[in-house]
Amino acid sequence: MKAFVIAENEGAARELCAGARTVADSVVLCVVGAPAITGVADVCVHIDVPAGNIADDAYLSVKSAFDAQGADCIIAENALRPLSLVGRLTAALGTAAIAGATEINGTQASTMYFGGNGVRTANAEAIPAFIVGSGVFDGSAATGTDTVEELAFQAPANAVIKQGEEALPKADINLAAADAIVACGRGFSDEADLQLARDLAAKLGAEVGCSRPLAEGVDWFPKEAYIGVSGAVVSPKTYVACGISGQMQHMVGCNGSEVVIAVNKDKNAPIFKQCDYGFVGDLKEALPALTAAL
Amino acid sequence: MNILVACKIIPDDQDIQIAGDGSLDFSKAHQIVSEYDLNAIEFAAQLGEATGSSVKAISVGAAAADDSKVKKNILSRGVDELFLIADDATADLDSAATAAELAKLANAADGYDLIVVGTGSADFYAKQVGVHLAAKLDVPYVSGVTKATVNGSTVSCTRVLENVVENVDVPLPCVVSILPDAALPRIAGMKDILAAGKKPMNVSAAEGVAAPAVSTVSLAAPAAVDRKCEVFEDIDSFVAAVKAAL
Ligand SMILES: Cc1cc2nc3c(=O)[nH]c(=O)nc-3n(C[C@H](O)[C@H](O)[C@H](O)COP(=O)(O)OP(=O)(O)OC[C@H]3O[C@@H](n4cnc5c(N)ncnc54)[C@H](O)[C@@H]3O)c2cc1C
Repeated sequence: MKAFVIAENEGAARELCAGARTVADSVVLCVVGAPAITGVADVCVHIDVPAGNIADDAYLSVKSAFDAQGADCIIAENALRPLSLVGRLTAALGTAAIAGATEINGTQASTMYFGGNGVRTANAEAIPAFIVGSGVFDGSAATGTDTVEELAFQAPANAVIKQGEEALPKADINLAAADAIVACGRGFSDEADLQLARDLAAKLGAEVGCSRPLAEGVDWFPKEAYIGVSGAVVSPKTYVACGISGQMQHMVGCNGSEVVIAVNKDKNAPIFKQCDYGFVGDLKEALPALTAAL
Repeated sequence: MNILVACKIIPDDQDIQIAGDGSLDFSKAHQIVSEYDLNAIEFAAQLGEATGSSVKAISVGAAAADDSKVKKNILSRGVDELFLIADDATADLDSAATAAELAKLANAADGYDLIVVGTGSADFYAKQVGVHLAAKLDVPYVSGVTKATVNGSTVSCTRVLENVVENVDVPLPCVVSILPDAALPRIAGMKDILAAGKKPMNVSAAEGVAAPAVSTVSLAAPAAVDRKCEVFEDIDSFVAAVKAAL
């Protein structure tokens, strides 16, 4: 089997190529619109994207690379541009990707279903294609050559025109490395109250994270700060969930924590069935009390 | 201009029960519009108002998707007409097959200039149906969209990717996938819901559904995580327990 990996970030390329080695004899990495990545695959097919085009529109080139390489399995990074490319490639091949694969077994993969409310095993009837998030495979196992094959960008008819771009500032947050995390949810009705969580975090040497709604719609946190099935998956020693109801979409992101502490004013909140220590009450009472005592 | 918005009708995951044998029981689940598709509907409705366009919803799902409350919900949010395939033959489609059915509806809906899709459905969250639909219709596709303005034959979009914001002009017709940030769903009033009941709802059975490229082998509840579950109502005992544990 020959795997065709579509990735744009070096970390993801490492993990996916290492994972691809466990299912295929040879690995081709296709990088579009980002610097070529070497040392992780047998060959890196590199497609440069002209300034006025978008990487997503490189799909004709990607399809010809796939055909030329004679690959028979696809693994793609879970990031927007690779998602567009794997979508176009699988469409051209008459197949569809299995997304959110957490384990690959031949043509089958296990995936989350309803954000972790279930586990689904799916089978690819045609060319298997998998979309894989970060942390599924061990990137340190990646091996490969320095071979880079340049391939020209072929614009489709009706190409999207890029007028400009602006780099997003890098968020100053590192949840993955944190020993402790204080996570804030919609139970915070006022942005100013987040200081209560920051005070506790300072005491614990913790990072402050959040549930998805606090990073979306309201911009109280950067996107990198939300924990869950579509955000960061963390496993700190201590996880303090404040004003978080405990929906599966959130909990699958923190279930690996050693100790889970929950504060919620609703005694029936699902989080109380998924924590070690819980307090039924107002976070405005509980957080200062914890900060004072620890 | 004709604006279409694709949305998925699915069981509410809050109602999923775990049966004794570890299988998932959906029998008591209400049907709802997948969470982030509500944002897509709102985005389409606002763009429709801004451009004086018609807004039609297209949806493919199981027979249970033909639910009068959900259909009214969709039509109470600034949508003029609904095209729905509700059939158990289309209950478990992969992204390519879903897109193929949506493409049929897009053509049935009397043409399209702009098709809006949400970021991903709550069940699979594959984020693939929009791009498959674009491929099927052979039109441009952009994802991560937070803003869109129509200028003649193109739509100018702001797309927020993981590390960069791009400003792009997309030739019409096209498919755009929006981020939930792009529009927060409205709360429909009683009047909107009543009016929704009088709007056209075209519900059809599936016909000539493509063979699946991906099929479900098994579905099961996740392994339970073992936790102590010591829950306190007294703050002092709680603080003491946390202090002892850390
Ligand atoms: C496809 C998809 C992907 C998703 N991915 C994610 C994800 O990755 N991460 C994520 O977090 N979510 C995700 N979600 C959203 C998820 O389903 C939930 O909606 C979300 O996690 C709820 O956030 P919350 O617990 O902060 O808010 P809510 O569910 O609204 O809970 C707020 C809680 O605060 C409590 N509360 C209120 N006031 C107080 C107070 N004063 N003191 C103490 N407690 C109080 C309430 O009792 C309630 O339990 C996803 C959803 C979908 C459909």
